[in-house]
Amino acid sequence: MKNWLNKLTYRHRSLTLKDGTTTTRPLQFDWFYALLILFVVVFFYQYIIGAYFDVISYPFFFSRVPNFFTILIAMVSDINWAYFPQILDPLFDTIKMAFLGTFMGSLFALPVSFLASQNIMKNRFVSITVKFLLSFVRTLPSILYALIFAFVFGYGTFVGTLSLTVFTFAISSKILYEYIETLDMGAFTAIESTGATKLQAFTASILPQLYGNFISTSLYSFEINIRYSAILGFVGAGGIGILLNDAMSLRRYGNVSVLLLGLLALVLVTENISRAIRKRLN
Amino acid sequence: MIQFKNVGKTYPNGTKALQNVDLTIEQGEFVAVIGLSGAGKSTLIRLVNKMIPLTEGSLIVNGDLVESLQGKALRRFRRRIGMVFQSFNLIQRTSVLNNVLAARVPDMGFFRTLLGLYSKQDKLLALESLHKVGILEKAYTRVDQLSGGQQQRVALARTLAQKPKIILADEPVASLDPITANQIMKDFKRVNEGENITIVVNMHHVDLALKYAKRVIGIHKGRVIFDGPSSKVTEALLKEIYGRDINDEDIMFKDEKLAK
Repeated sequence: MKNWLNKLTYRHRSLTLKDGTTTTRPLQFDWFYALLILFVVVFFYQYIIGAYFDVISYPFFFSRVPNFFTILIAMVSDINWAYFPQILDPLFDTIKMAFLGTFMGSLFALPVSFLASQNIMKNRFVSITVKFLLSFVRTLPSILYALIFAFVFGYGTFVGTLSLTVFTFAISSKILYEYIETLDMGAFTAIESTGATKLQAFTASILPQLYGNFISTSLYSFEINIRYSAILGFVGAGGIGILLNDAMSLRRYGNVSVLLLGLLALVLVTENISRAIRKRLN
Repeated sequence: MIQFKNVGKTYPNGTKALQNVDLTIEQGEFVAVIGLSGAGKSTLIRLVNKMIPLTEGSLIVNGDLVESLQGKALRRFRRRIGMVFQSFNLIQRTSVLNNVLAARVPDMGFFRTLLGLYSKQDKLLALESLHKVGILEKAYTRVDQLSGGQQQRVALARTLAQKPKIILADEPVASLDPITANQIMKDFKRVNEGENITIVVNMHHVDLALKYAKRVIGIHKGRVIFDGPSSKVTEALLKEIYGRDINDEDIMFKDEKLAK
């Protein structure tokens, strides 16, 4: 064991060049090996030792595996093409939900991310408070927001739009403020020295630097939102998710496969459009 | 005219960056401020447009009492003073023209700034400024595609678009190669002579300072220890300003001899 560890950590540690000069790499904590060891330990504990005390035993687990294929086969063999026209409207609802949610969420995220960035918001109390609030918003699972909004506003696409707004806000504000904190403030100083107010200097120097990153963050959120809106349908936010939920609980696997194919096509199209736009933003 | 009257600057942490500075710089002069890094050159230059506020004495620029300026009055005052930086401080990821136009922002409303709606006069002024420094053909190129020297020219054009009376340059050529540095200094000289704009430039490199500036101010540990024409600068004096012998690092063109 010790020999094996030595080989990992001390591998090629000291190397000697032709003229006799020796360089020695300082010992460093290796995150990859640490996580690998953690994985082995947790996996062993949970599924090898733990399995003895668990409800699910190995024979039970293996006896159930074929069921998965039963559903899969049903989805392929019973595929119900006639169902396709009926999914178009909900599919379109899904797109609308995702688009509106992404747009509003990104727009709200922009000013808030400035408040959270320490290089813009010189008042540390404000930036730390905003960061804390943002991590709180991120902590609550998005499906919980959907459930809460469904309780408040009833079912429908509005609930979906609202949940996706919060979801987009939560992720893009973090991505944005982390990016803003790496921005060069030199241009800001330069514009301020021309006699501009802080707001003018900020608008003229920081926003243009942010533009590309903001658009690509929003597009990325849009991609996630399209996929995510399907799950939101399960808790009552409109769109294709409701149909998916119904078809699954009624065991109409032929309809499920049509719905999934529709969703797949939509995801592929959005991902490609988004990639094409981001490529042009370089 | 820039008048320092017994000016001093003590930073909040107690560092005395400048003490007892008495200077008068007339309109249209080309002045180089030389000294070691940390001597107080940057502080001296930044006091002029109150990017750093002074703590002792009094400073009068074009009739305005700088230490009393605040808010709107300070911003109006700054419009006539251009500033050029060592690291160019351009807005990345946008065009050369937009960078020069940024100098017009103080006169614009919020939404015009936000949407980049500059007037035709502003655009013409920006293009003229680019023409003056000889990079008009780069107007629609993104700044990050330009070389260091070209970027510093954009910064100079941005300053010119302010129609300044004074240009403050903080180590404008320190991060450029010797040839480019020489060209940028020539640009400064042309602007100085052609438009009668006062130029106050901080430099570390003695040879460039002596070659282009008519007047040299030597700073050592926060005090002005020399102020006179560049022709009067001797090697002994430089030794005093730098606190040591002049070495290769203080000279851009190592093969040229110092002017004496």
